[in-house]
Amino acid sequence: MKDLWLRISNEFAQAWTVTLKDIKVYYLRPGMIMFGFLMPFFMFFSFSVRREMAAEAGLARLLALTIFFTAAAAGPFIIPMERRLGTYDRLLAAPMSLFTLLMGKTAVGAFFAIVVASVSALAGVLIFGTTVAQPGLMLAGILIGSFSFSTLGLIFGSIPTRNPGDVQMPSTLLRWGLLFISGVFVPLSEMAPFARGLAYLSPLTYAQDLMNFAVLGEGLLNPWLNLGVLLLTAVLFLVPSIKLHQRGRVLGY
Amino acid sequence: MTNAIEVKNLTKYYDKFLAVDHIDFTVKQGEIFGFLGPNGAGKSTTQRMLVTLLTPTEGQILILGHDLAQNAYPAKRQIGLVPEESNVYTELTAWDNLMFTGRLYRMSKDERRARAEELLETFGLWEKRDVKVENYSKGMRRRLSIAMAVIHKPALLFLDEPTPGLDAQSARAIQGLIRQLSADGTTVFLTTHQIEEANQLCDRVAIINHGKIAATDTPEQLKQTFQQVQSVEVAFVPKETLKVSETLEGLDEKLVSLPEVSTVVKVGDKWRLYTEDPSALLSHILQFAETQGLRIVSLNTLAPSLEDVFLQITGQQIGVIQNQNPPKRLGMRRGKGDRK
Repeated sequence: MKDLWLRISNEFAQAWTVTLKDIKVYYLRPGMIMFGFLMPFFMFFSFSVRREMAAEAGLARLLALTIFFTAAAAGPFIIPMERRLGTYDRLLAAPMSLFTLLMGKTAVGAFFAIVVASVSALAGVLIFGTTVAQPGLMLAGILIGSFSFSTLGLIFGSIPTRNPGDVQMPSTLLRWGLLFISGVFVPLSEMAPFARGLAYLSPLTYAQDLMNFAVLGEGLLNPWLNLGVLLLTAVLFLVPSIKLHQRGRVLGY
Repeated sequence: MTNAIEVKNLTKYYDKFLAVDHIDFTVKQGEIFGFLGPNGAGKSTTQRMLVTLLTPTEGQILILGHDLAQNAYPAKRQIGLVPEESNVYTELTAWDNLMFTGRLYRMSKDERRARAEELLETFGLWEKRDVKVENYSKGMRRRLSIAMAVIHKPALLFLDEPTPGLDAQSARAIQGLIRQLSADGTTVFLTTHQIEEANQLCDRVAIINHGKIAATDTPEQLKQTFQQVQSVEVAFVPKETLKVSETLEGLDEKLVSLPEVSTVVKVGDKWRLYTEDPSALLSHILQFAETQGLRIVSLNTLAPSLEDVFLQITGQQIGVIQNQNPPKRLGMRRGKGDRK
């Protein structure tokens, strides 16, 4: 039992070590700034400027976009690059489980999203005077949503390739696809039944609804359901990542 | 004593391509074991399987007694890996790279700081410890890569092509470090196609070709068993009355037709004549020089080198002119080695 606890504490520490190293090495890389930082703001301003929208509604949308794009940007950028440079072999050969490594990588994207979303929220409140109906729920949504979307990005980062370009294309396509079927730009309540059914397949829908509830005080779904779905997807998205890594070990990546 | 590495029936297919073909070998603790082979022979694939980066199709790997298929964790704690490309984090300093690796191996703060100081001193990087690695030379990155691989004092170190592309001074420094690690008790598995490096460093070598182990022995034993690749190295100059172009042109073809010669290789300004009987060949060379109007500048008999053995086994020969009617007893073009 003592050995087990020691092993678990070691694995936690190793995941944290991987996270800290990636923060130091990759956060200021152009790819991360482009896909993780500028992209959500670009999307937000493209679809929100010159449209009549309350500041609260704008903040809820920005937060959903931020955690979605920023968190999902890290995996597809960092892992293929590390594979190409050979540094990923160092991590795979280290005495830690694949799960631990993936947890460390998940935290990299999640923390990036948490920081960017938190700064956005603070700016909304302090500069634009936006009121937040349920700050605690907003923080929980940012936290859990960031981890959920980071594991989504991890799936693409786990594709066995050494070329980040091979991963960026499908990852961007999927994210844009999810963006347009989710209730970000068209509220769920205004969607046709078929479109709404499609929207429920996207985790971004639940993040947006949760942010609507947290900032505006109104959402279509129960916020606990939204949180539960985001938590579940965070776990479920790890399964294909692990499978793809195992496939990579067979193929030699 | 447990073997450091025990490989049984190890096989790797990439789809339908057989990269490693049911190989068996062992590496004893404390030895420097060279794993030689031409490009594409299966060296790196084998090594990647040994360090858990690649899943074998078939077979068993025991690292320090631990079966990798059952539980790789205890084995991973005791191995260090230096891949072909120096996989260091160029955005970090040497110190940060070492601290990161020490943390990954769960060394205490005091332990990793003391070890990092020791390694940076030993590897000649102390002065540049706070400089980002992107400003390092290739040799410095290589040394740092090795330092990172040994920070946790692994019992078994895997080195993949540690010196190609380095200047002679850096290569020699790294070879010295490998010897030192071995003297300190680390088992070294050295993957290389630098034959001379293996000859100078390794206690034993295995030669892999087309995914199969073609030979495993000490370098000297391998040379002994390949006595038929003895050679005579000779350099000629024309006698004063003749022009160089008149005498040395086409000499390759003439030399290869000498009795007892199986193969001729031009080595710089010299010719290396492979033979099973150097003493018999000497008189033929003297006679040949006389009839061709040549003066012999140097004449040496050479025992087979490890490179000769390697080329014999792998069937690779560069710049070779083959005798079309070789002495019957020689059999220089014997099949690719199946020795063990």
